[in-house]
Amino acid sequence: MKAMTLLDLVRGPLFFWALMIMIAGILWRLSGLIFFRLQSRAAKPKDDAPIVAGLRTVALRSVPPHELEKNITFQHFTGYAWHIGWFATFLFLGAHLSLIKSILGFAWPALPNGVIMVLAAMTLGILLTLWIRRWYNPVLRLISNFDDHLSVVLTILPLFTGITAFTHWAPFGTRYETMLAIHILSVELLMVWMPFGKIFHVVTSLIVRFRTGAAFSRRGVKA
Amino acid sequence: MSTALVADYLRMRGVSRRGFLKFCASTASLMAMPPMMIPQIARALESARRPSVIWMPFQECTGCTESITRAHGATIEQLIFEAISLDYQHTLMAAAGEQSDDALHEAMQQNKGKYLLAVDGSIPLGNPGYSTISGISNIDMLKEAAEGAMAIVAIGSCAAFGGIPKANPNPTGAVSVSDIIKNKPIVNVSGCPPIPIVITGVLAQILTFGLEGLELDHLGRPKVFYGQSIHDRCYRRPFYERGQFAESFDDEGAKAGWCLYKLGCKGPTTYNACATVKWNNGTSFPIEAGHGCIGCAEPDFWDKGGFYDPLSVTDWGSTADIAIAAGAGVALGVAAGALARKGQNDARPAPEAKP
Amino acid sequence: MSSTSASIPVESFEKRVSDLPHQGTSKLSPEEQVARAKAVIVSKLDSRSAMELETCIHCGMCSEACHFYEATQDAKYTPIHKVHLVRSVYRRELSPLRWFNRLFIREITAEELSEWQELLFNSCTECGRCDLICPMGIQITSGIRLGRQALAAADLMPPELRALNDEQTRENTLLGVGTDELHEAVRELDSQGIVVPLDRPKADVMLLTTVSDLLLYRQSFAAIARILDKLGLAWTIRSEAFEASNFGLLSGSEDSQMLMAKRVTDAARACGAKLVIVPECGHAYPALRFNAAEQLDQPLPFEVMAISEFLGREIKAGRLKVKKLDGSKKVTYHDPCKLGRHGGVFEEPRDALGALGIDLHEMESHGTTQYCCGGGGGVMMLAASEELRRRTFDIKMRQVEDSGADSVVTSCDTCRMTFERGAKLVNWNRPVESLAELVAANLAD
Repeated sequence: MKAMTLLDLVRGPLFFWALMIMIAGILWRLSGLIFFRLQSRAAKPKDDAPIVAGLRTVALRSVPPHELEKNITFQHFTGYAWHIGWFATFLFLGAHLSLIKSILGFAWPALPNGVIMVLAAMTLGILLTLWIRRWYNPVLRLISNFDDHLSVVLTILPLFTGITAFTHWAPFGTRYETMLAIHILSVELLMVWMPFGKIFHVVTSLIVRFRTGAAFSRRGVKA
Repeated sequence: MSTALVADYLRMRGVSRRGFLKFCASTASLMAMPPMMIPQIARALESARRPSVIWMPFQECTGCTESITRAHGATIEQLIFEAISLDYQHTLMAAAGEQSDDALHEAMQQNKGKYLLAVDGSIPLGNPGYSTISGISNIDMLKEAAEGAMAIVAIGSCAAFGGIPKANPNPTGAVSVSDIIKNKPIVNVSGCPPIPIVITGVLAQILTFGLEGLELDHLGRPKVFYGQSIHDRCYRRPFYERGQFAESFDDEGAKAGWCLYKLGCKGPTTYNACATVKWNNGTSFPIEAGHGCIGCAEPDFWDKGGFYDPLSVTDWGSTADIAIAAGAGVALGVAAGALARKGQNDARPAPEAKP
Repeated sequence: MSSTSASIPVESFEKRVSDLPHQGTSKLSPEEQVARAKAVIVSKLDSRSAMELETCIHCGMCSEACHFYEATQDAKYTPIHKVHLVRSVYRRELSPLRWFNRLFIREITAEELSEWQELLFNSCTECGRCDLICPMGIQITSGIRLGRQALAAADLMPPELRALNDEQTRENTLLGVGTDELHEAVRELDSQGIVVPLDRPKADVMLLTTVSDLLLYRQSFAAIARILDKLGLAWTIRSEAFEASNFGLLSGSEDSQMLMAKRVTDAARACGAKLVIVPECGHAYPALRFNAAEQLDQPLPFEVMAISEFLGREIKAGRLKVKKLDGSKKVTYHDPCKLGRHGGVFEEPRDALGALGIDLHEMESHGTTQYCCGGGGGVMMLAASEELRRRTFDIKMRQVEDSGADSVVTSCDTCRMTFERGAKLVNWNRPVESLAELVAANLAD
């Protein structure tokens, strides 16, 4: 019996297991947090609308006051720009929407391929720049660890391999199906790593913002 | 059987010299050979002894035989094919029973070491009784015939890769020719079925130049026909690039002839000559007829997800699987969290000195 | 500048602070230090902190909100880096994925605990500015608080804070200032015609004061007394619990923090006070207004207000009338971190200043985003922080100058002291004033 080709592997059992590991991992890490003690609410709050405050922080923490972010504007803007580009590429490319539709049962209109290519290229450029910066900026060099570097590599690879597959660039005698397989494999690596490293912030960041906004509001502070 | 030269046979059948040379010219052009090769092809074919070709049909649907023998009229290709002397073609030959068995053994004896063995159909290993001819299992027959063959041409995806019988769960234990024969050159002419002229083209190449010069890809298929993907030669490629896709059969996009990627076309990962050579003497091919390529020239094409699932769609299991994974995750998390909380309670430090 | 005709000389406060021990090592073995620090982190870590510690993405933006980093550009002052040991312990001991984390994260060591004393105490005022900028919404200050508590349990508090915490816990005095000194101050105010009702068995309002008020800024104490008297309130100050400062909080000793809060809440209950007023002190306000109830998980039976908050409320309600000045006074208001970002007191001081007709020039970073003076969280007590404080004060000076104000008004003794010290070092000519004193000096008849 001939061995499964790489493409068959990544479109078959590897994707299945990557998805299962990702789902189990996310829920493991999230469920494990429910047993921690909640802070006391015995102190009389200064504000009586913590939910509104929480939602406000979820939205507005992305746009901090200018006097606060003016020293870090480059990172602040490029950070959001690449997130937008990455998710736009993932969620609005026609080929991806076929996959999403097969899993969710529904999808939404795609953006033109050319637009996606521009966004993907921009995102890739920003990510590479920020990764290089992580190596030489003193603050980032001090606080960065293996997880940070692995996470950014696993975030870059689907973009890079996606662009090469999409443009049907097949160097060194590779064939299109190899490039496509490598792209899908890179996504699977990202999926498997996602619950275990810092990319997990996708799940908790909005919850944390909400809780912080609510906590600040109890003290009468809009943050 | 007959040991007459191919040229004699053609003349006997009323093929004019002009017609014969025309055939050689189109063969050369099809195989991307320069015009100066035409005389060489003509000479080779003319003086070629009618090599013996033993054709063995195994666990097949007869589609490959049908493909090549489709009677559109007496095409030169068919004649040439007949000219190469099908010493044994179980389906086509008139003889049957013991007479045909005798014919087989005689051909194998007389041309030992020189005959070309053409095989279509897979070979079932699960139980030899699944596919037999005259009570002899396919595998025994293949091994015996392969011994005296100069080369084997595995015609059709079943012979080349296992094909339909091999599809999950492979109840007959079907395998390909190359899974069994390891010591003879094998040329895989895959497709379900292969394009008729691809079959004759490969055979013509072997007749003319032998096996050398026949470049094979990593799956043993002649690069001249299998070296490019359908996608790279598809006339609908501009629509793919522009992102114009048919979303369902007979919708506006389908009617406008847009790309069939979303309807599961496997053109990008399938290597065959359909997009250039086409079918029915160049009439059309599946995509042109409005149906996506099903990748029938590739191994295991039945098991690569659905024919109507685009390449970007993967096997993600089912909702039940996701529920199980989720449940497992929650269980592990809750256990980890409960343990942690216990650890927190146990770690409460001794109260500091009372004031 | 500040002057007082008290019998305790004005240099006394600074001298008593400088007499505090500045050197000291833990009396515990390294293994014991690590064990106790870990035990504190493991046992006290709550739900919000857990989720936050899972969520840091190492973006480093918090550094750009921290005045210590901004002044020195030294990466080690990055706020989340200050919390590194707390996070390591969490990830190894409590995280749902701790078995996986242990492959990558080492155990903390006693050397690291000692190294982190500087990061958690000397170079962090718990000002909370980093909490505002974190894109993940992490309240790094909570981690700092826990880290301090961990170091305190390992007997690694800065020696000055250890000494003050010990004194306040055992003696109920600070820098030698206790009931006697309170009574002496009351007598002095009385001689100036300011009545301070001491130890009333029943009162509506209980006032607190601080060691810094009694030793250094007695006019602030006097000003508040005059205002409460003017309002005709039934108020008192209690000998057994007059100190608002909470060195349990500042040193990281949660048991002491609760004890000190309990002294105040017991005294308030004893006299049936409906309102407790915190004087011009920063950390005392959230300690009493929020932490006290949270730690006991029981609401307080009385209101707590900071004096600046109270003044604004009374003025806005029309119960306290002030004279309108000519408006030529160009002033900027410095929001003390613990009153503003940690207490929500922003509008009321400005209402008071508005009523006074002050020409308010806001600093670029004001209100929620204002920069810390650099002295809070106990930092102004630490000899080892002197150079850092000097450098961070440059930021504050620039902010004030750029606002176009001639002087600074604030409502926290630590901020006031830090401004005065900083100004003195570089001969900066912008004075700092107390809001309470400003109001008291301009009461309408």
